[in-house]
Amino acid sequence: MFADELKTLRRLGFRHVLLQVLNFASVLASGLMIWKGLGLLTNTESPIVVVLSGSMEPAFYRGDLLFLVNPPDTRYQTGDITVYKIPGQDIPIVHRVLETHDVVKPVNGVREKVPRPENQLLLTKGDNNYLDDVELYQGLDWLERKHIVGKVRGFLPYVGYVTIALNDFPQLKYALLGGLGLLALVQRE
Amino acid sequence: MPTASEDRDVVKVNNASLNELKNALDDAIKRFLSRPDLFKQIHLHTDVRLALGWAGVFVAGATAFYAWRLDFEQSKSLTWIGLIVYVVLTLLQTLYAYFVEGDIIFVGKRKTFDKRIVTERITLYSRTKPSTPENPPAYTLSLTYRRSTSGGKSLLGRGQASEARPYNAFFDEQGVLDHDRFETWVGEIVGRVMESEAE
Repeated sequence: MFADELKTLRRLGFRHVLLQVLNFASVLASGLMIWKGLGLLTNTESPIVVVLSGSMEPAFYRGDLLFLVNPPDTRYQTGDITVYKIPGQDIPIVHRVLETHDVVKPVNGVREKVPRPENQLLLTKGDNNYLDDVELYQGLDWLERKHIVGKVRGFLPYVGYVTIALNDFPQLKYALLGGLGLLALVQRE
Repeated sequence: MPTASEDRDVVKVNNASLNELKNALDDAIKRFLSRPDLFKQIHLHTDVRLALGWAGVFVAGATAFYAWRLDFEQSKSLTWIGLIVYVVLTLLQTLYAYFVEGDIIFVGKRKTFDKRIVTERITLYSRTKPSTPENPPAYTLSLTYRRSTSGGKSLLGRGQASEARPYNAFFDEQGVLDHDRFETWVGEIVGRVMESEAE
């Protein structure tokens, strides 16, 4: 199937093979760096997430793509839609902030006048759920700011289904990667 | 210029792709001029591109690895450094390819002993002239040639040439390259430039 391309590769030598593999590797590298750069700009480890459950309907449905930001010194307000991860759980949860609680933590033994946003405590609930999320907090009564991945600033409907499909059928992921790799290896600039 | 008609692989490309046509001719030139009795190819441009490119890939990989290993807050400064280094490397690579490498497809060197050591250096450039309503797409080949002695310090001669031929002079309807015809043309140009400097 790729006899012509393989012959060309063998004919052109080792340097050429290195160049072609570099083609593929640099596509991956640039994708990775764009993702990391986006994360740094938005101050969140996962600037784009996919909605997995229907607990936020009718605002968000399963398969929606969400764009997150996590402004460092800003209070989260009631009504913000946040994505958080409980330590020990892999899966991020997308729910709305129901209550906030500002805590003043003494710094070097001195009680501060104004509470700091990073010490905020939050209680969340999914729009489509009957109960709030306390059961999900694995023993905690409140969510802390460090558990929050970010708050939702925008979304795209349906696009997330691609990611869901890739995760549910890992063969698709390998097939896609393999196909891309093959393409990059035999394509000349 | 000797044109040996040894057994060569058939080169068949997609006639409709200008990219493939140019690449096929560029590769043929590299094979032709790298023959032992002709020039020794200097791989400097390729090596610089490989070095910068692979360095970028490793920086990207290392940055992603550390970001994955460490907590997000801890990894932020390292990620910034990695990202900036990657952008710088990519920028350098692009600038090098555009300004320094440009249209160059082959750089070769040859040393001959003729009462003294004579060093010859040849550089070939190629470009595609896109088709116009009157003419089919053409392959423009330019070359510069330099002959010197005493380790490059005293210049003996210099020459250059530039010629264009339509791609259909070398490829038939199926896209098969006519090696002999192409090598005759290239050999004639190179020979002409080199001979005109002969003392």
